[in-house]
Order: sequence, then C-alpha cells, then structure tokens
Amino acid sequence: MRKRSTLAAAAAAALGLTSAVAQPPGDAAKAASAPTPRLPDGTVDLGGNGIWNLWWVTDFGRQLVGREDVPFLPWTRAMYEYNKSNNVAYDPQGFCLPPGGPRAFGTPYPAEIIQQNDRIVVIFEGGAHVWREIHMDGRELPDPDTLTPTYFGYSVGHWEGDTLVIETVGFNEKTWLNFGGYMHTDELRTIERITRPNRDTLHYEATLIDPGAYSEPWTIAWDIEWLEGAELAEYICQENNQFLIDLKDDFGMPFFQRPDPEEIWRSVWRTE
Amino acid sequence: MRTKAAALLVALGAFIVAGHAAAHHSFAAEFDANSPIELTGVVTKVEWMNPHTFFYIDVEGENGEYQNWALELGSPNGLMRRGWTRDSLKVGDVVTVSGSRARDGSFKGNARSVVLANGKRLFNGQNEDS
Repeated sequence: MRKRSTLAAAAAAALGLTSAVAQPPGDAAKAASAPTPRLPDGTVDLGGNGIWNLWWVTDFGRQLVGREDVPFLPWTRAMYEYNKSNNVAYDPQGFCLPPGGPRAFGTPYPAEIIQQNDRIVVIFEGGAHVWREIHMDGRELPDPDTLTPTYFGYSVGHWEGDTLVIETVGFNEKTWLNFGGYMHTDELRTIERITRPNRDTLHYEATLIDPGAYSEPWTIAWDIEWLEGAELAEYICQENNQFLIDLKDDFGMPFFQRPDPEEIWRSVWRTE
Repeated sequence: MRTKAAALLVALGAFIVAGHAAAHHSFAAEFDANSPIELTGVVTKVEWMNPHTFFYIDVEGENGEYQNWALELGSPNGLMRRGWTRDSLKVGDVVTVSGSRARDGSFKGNARSVVLANGKRLFNGQNEDS
C-alpha cells in the first residue's frame, strides 16, 4: 500500500503537481484504505484528521441510480435545454449564491463533517464558505408551510445502522438543482443517505422528490474521497466577481445595470 | 504490478485532464475552447483574488505595439493546491500562457497553464469542458 502511494506521489511531484485533483475516487484509491473510523460509542465517524475532497458533479444525469434518464416535466426539460443553450450563463452559483440540496456535495472544493451530540454541521470551502446544519436531536421534520424558505432548507437526520439519513424540506427557489441547469420548486424535499464504507470513501446518495418539477422521485449517487492530513482553505466568491460585471442578458444588455453617476447627481440635486 | 501501473495512470490522468476543480460559473459562457491562445509577455499586474485570480501581461503585437492581456485563473484556494503561491507571478516576470480566448474577442483569456519566469509550468484549476 505504501509503495503504491509513494509511486503516485513521486509521479505527481515529477509532473509538478502537489496534492490530489478533485475527481471521483478511482478503484486504486478504494483498494488501499483503512477500516471505517468510529466514535467511542460505535457511531460511524464522518470526520477525522482530514477533509472530504468534493469533486465537481456537473451533470446529475450521469449519476443516476436505478434509471437511465431524468424524469423531467416539460417545463424543467425546456429550462434545461435553454440553460444548456447559453452555457448556463445565469446559474445563481455563478453569482456566488450558495448551492441548495445535493449540489453542495457536488460543488468544488473540500468539506468537513463535524458531528456533535445533537447536530451535525457540514462546512464547505466551496459554494462559497457556507455550512449546513442537520438536527440530530430526534425532532420532527417541520411542515414546510411553517418555514421561511431558505437556500439550504431545514434538515433533520438520524442513523439507520451505519447510514446517516437526512431529510430536508423548506427550500427556496433561488437555486439550481445542479450545474447543468436542472430547476426545482419549493416543493422539493430530499432524502440523503451517507455512508463511510472505509476511511477514504464517503458514499453520498440523494433522492429528490419534487412533484412540481419532476414526474417521479429520482436518486443520484457518487463517491467522495478523503484527504488525510489536509485542511480547508478559504474561498470568498463574492470578493471580485468580474464575470457578473461583464454578464449580458439574452438581448445583449448588461445583466446588472451599473448606475450612471451623472444621473444620480442630477436626480438628487435637480440640476440640468 | 497492476496496482503500480494503475497508480501511475491515475497520476498521469490527473496531469492530462488538469482537474475538474473550481469555476463558480461556466467556462464556456465566457471563453471559447476553440479559440486557443499562446502568449509570451511581461507581467504588469497580479490580482490574487476570489473567485478568480487575474494577471495582466504586455504582449508585443505584430507591428511592435503592445497589447495588454487580462488572463484569468482559478481562485487562490484551488491554485494553492496545484503548487501556486502568491509569489508565483510577479510584476516584471516573463511568462508564457496557454489557454482560451474570451468569446467577445477582447484581449482577455482563460489560462490553462502558465510557464513561470523560473521555467516551471503550473496548471489552472478550472474545467474547460463545461
């Protein structure tokens, strides 16, 4: 095992790379790993001395479980085609807004899962510099009509054996389901199932239930690799988003109108 | 034997693909992968910022005039994991940039890799295929 990783590290160093490129874990990574770490009471430990190397899941259509195609309704199919046609120029995440739902676990840059007695907090380097809180104190999932809709929704979780099951409702409609331009409504609810079959692998699975956008529930899944010894960095997307400044709408007009200082002065002082 | 070869292939594969990290927005919305650029010039400015690092180089045009090009890289957190530091690019450095030109035809591009003043090539962290 040590020989394999030394060879890969040597090759990577020779080619001028430093650490792992975020990609779906290969079979070589899965082959050599340690057993699932556990907390003193036997619960699976989703943390440790490292970070989860989230990779960019660009197309949920390639991560389907138990089906060949996405169960679009006509309007979501039409929106998908439109978003594809302009190279997803209007993706809210391109505006530095956070990704709601499973997209957070498929957004570039790593994450940490922090387990406490009554909650699990996931901190994401990407998305950017955002977190999700999952209530683990046995409370009921609220009726979404009683909630203020939010980007990440309201999450309640519990363990089923070694599987962390998270149910989430209360999403707003300000996010895209994924980078590829799949839409969702505020009827969306998700059921995520997370396992850690060995130290180096997080298996992430999510069932999407949104009758306003898809004709039936559908499930996506992917694996995420552990980076032992690595730490999160800081990414503040909204610092200098030049893409937004240059963004034009379908008619070639600036998406975000920059005010003309002359006009402002005239309107304030009423001089001609 | 097989695992060694597989490990080497994984490392080479990472080298060739140059990663799927970064990009809060679509590369293809702004840049044209079919419009490659290969520029050598002098660094005039470096903005080590989120969500993109920008650096500017003076490139000598065909008639001896200078074009100032704006090149985009990923964000510092992603670049740092690919060997970049804040000092990788300094004003006055002569560098060579390979990448893709902006769709609007301006002196702007997305850098896929840069050969630094010390001769080392570093890679950007963005996916060009989106």
